[in-house]
Amino acid sequence: MNQNNSSGKKFDKTAFAFIAPAFIFFTLFIIVPTVSSVYYSFTSWDGISPNVKFIGLANYKEIFTSARFGNALKNTVILTVFISIFENSIALGLALIVDNVRWGKNFFRSAFYIPVLISGIVSGFIWKIMYNYNFGTFNAILGNLGLDGWKQDWLGNSALTLLMIGVVLIWKGAGYYMIIYLASLQSVSTDLIEAAQIDGASPFQRFKAITLPLISGAFTINLTLSLINGLKVFDQINVMTDGGPGFTSETLVYLLYKVGFNEGRQGFGTAVGIMLLFIIIILNTIQQKFLRSREVQM
Amino acid sequence: MTAVKKPKPSNYVLFAVTVLLAFLFIYPVLFALMSAFKSNGDILKNPIGVPTSLYVQNFKDLFEQSDFTTAILHSLFLTIVSELLIVCIVPMAAYGIERRKSRTTSLIYTYFLAGMMIPFHLYMFPLFREMKLMHLFGNMAGPIVCYISGSIAFGTLLYCSFLKGIPLEIEEAAMIDGCTPFQTFWKVTFPLLGPCTGSMVILNGLGIWNDYLMPYLVLPSGIAKTITVEIAGFVGQYTARWDIVFAGTIISIVPALIIFCMFQKYFVKGITAGAAKG
Repeated sequence: MNQNNSSGKKFDKTAFAFIAPAFIFFTLFIIVPTVSSVYYSFTSWDGISPNVKFIGLANYKEIFTSARFGNALKNTVILTVFISIFENSIALGLALIVDNVRWGKNFFRSAFYIPVLISGIVSGFIWKIMYNYNFGTFNAILGNLGLDGWKQDWLGNSALTLLMIGVVLIWKGAGYYMIIYLASLQSVSTDLIEAAQIDGASPFQRFKAITLPLISGAFTINLTLSLINGLKVFDQINVMTDGGPGFTSETLVYLLYKVGFNEGRQGFGTAVGIMLLFIIIILNTIQQKFLRSREVQM
Repeated sequence: MTAVKKPKPSNYVLFAVTVLLAFLFIYPVLFALMSAFKSNGDILKNPIGVPTSLYVQNFKDLFEQSDFTTAILHSLFLTIVSELLIVCIVPMAAYGIERRKSRTTSLIYTYFLAGMMIPFHLYMFPLFREMKLMHLFGNMAGPIVCYISGSIAFGTLLYCSFLKGIPLEIEEAAMIDGCTPFQTFWKVTFPLLGPCTGSMVILNGLGIWNDYLMPYLVLPSGIAKTITVEIAGFVGQYTARWDIVFAGTIISIVPALIIFCMFQKYFVKGITAGAAKG
């Protein structure tokens, strides 16, 4: 069986046998439901009854005219942008700190990563209690400092709800992006930095001229990842606010879930999901374009 | 590198700042840990204080007043069985794609990667309908098949990038010695992929252990589902018994922490390899 030179262009049977199980699972439980969700988005399906009624573009018409969708889209954009900006700047800051701190690098890297290990539900619960008006950590600290006037119903105040959920997500996510920044910081050669040092560049100039361009790849990846993860937030909203007060923390994913499971409108929910996929595809395309233009530079 | 330099004042300042930041990051976890060992009255009266004694009644109540044992067993079962099956399926697929390069296999690779973009929430309603038809809804097989499918995109990406670094010569030698491709893969290549398998199993396993929506919706109601589902249920149900919920959160966090401490480098490898190609 001398097939070693068979790295040719033909798809052979062995490859088929190796790939088939994964291909079947992937197609059956991701692609088939995704493709059929395009169909369901044109129906008034309630999720239970076996007959599915085709209603044309009615769901999409409702999406573009209903105030509830507009509100959910607005909340999603606010939350996602807020998370992405702070997650990335904090993660980069932490990576720079861990890279430069003189003692305990590994310990600190782990410390900042620990929140990533915690489930969305558990992190939501812990912070929900910390935010509590009467018995929470924040108001207790403010009370001890004599700042009773600053006490807040952190999650109940509709002006703050989304940002307070965002804080939990930033806390939980920053460590992950820190690892990616850290890896790219550590790939920056020390020769380059030392050469700049000899040339008399200030630490800030060195960071701007050497480190920043070299970690731009990590930045693009992290930004895309944090945007996409921001769009998909669910668990914390579920535990902390259930989309409230009113609709102030109802995001697209949460709207999709609520109309689907509480209001029996899975056809409409699926149409909302299709919109979400569109947003993700657009973000990914932008990232691909960016990455390619960067690869030329490097 | 030159000889060890003497610490400068800036070193101390940065160190102090880092300690402070690390404390802020760990505080919520410490808060949960401390609250788990306080009575409910103590949690309410003194939220930021340290527990005065080792109070374990919360854990006793947790197991007596709810079926948390079943929840733990379910979480363990889902995580372990899914990971075993994932390890059987995903590395083989990556091997087929990476070692038998052809137009078709690279198309399949793109097909898998495209799946990374699709959010679960988009297709969950049709998925559940399909699962009901296949009798996968309302039992443990349902989440497991979904976890396997959900792991394929990231897993293939990870294994393909690791496979590039494994020399072909070893495999060729095994083939000459009469191994079938299947034997070559499992006996020769797979053991060399250990670090990659470690990274995938750990990152994926953590995701399954922490998952909420899938077991919540798919597993039958009326029984304890998984740890996360039980905790989410407690939040609504025992609004006045935070002590019990905190005990549950500690049980959910501790295994993840132990695995993290033991296999730190696999976390780092997996995340960075995924990001490099993602």
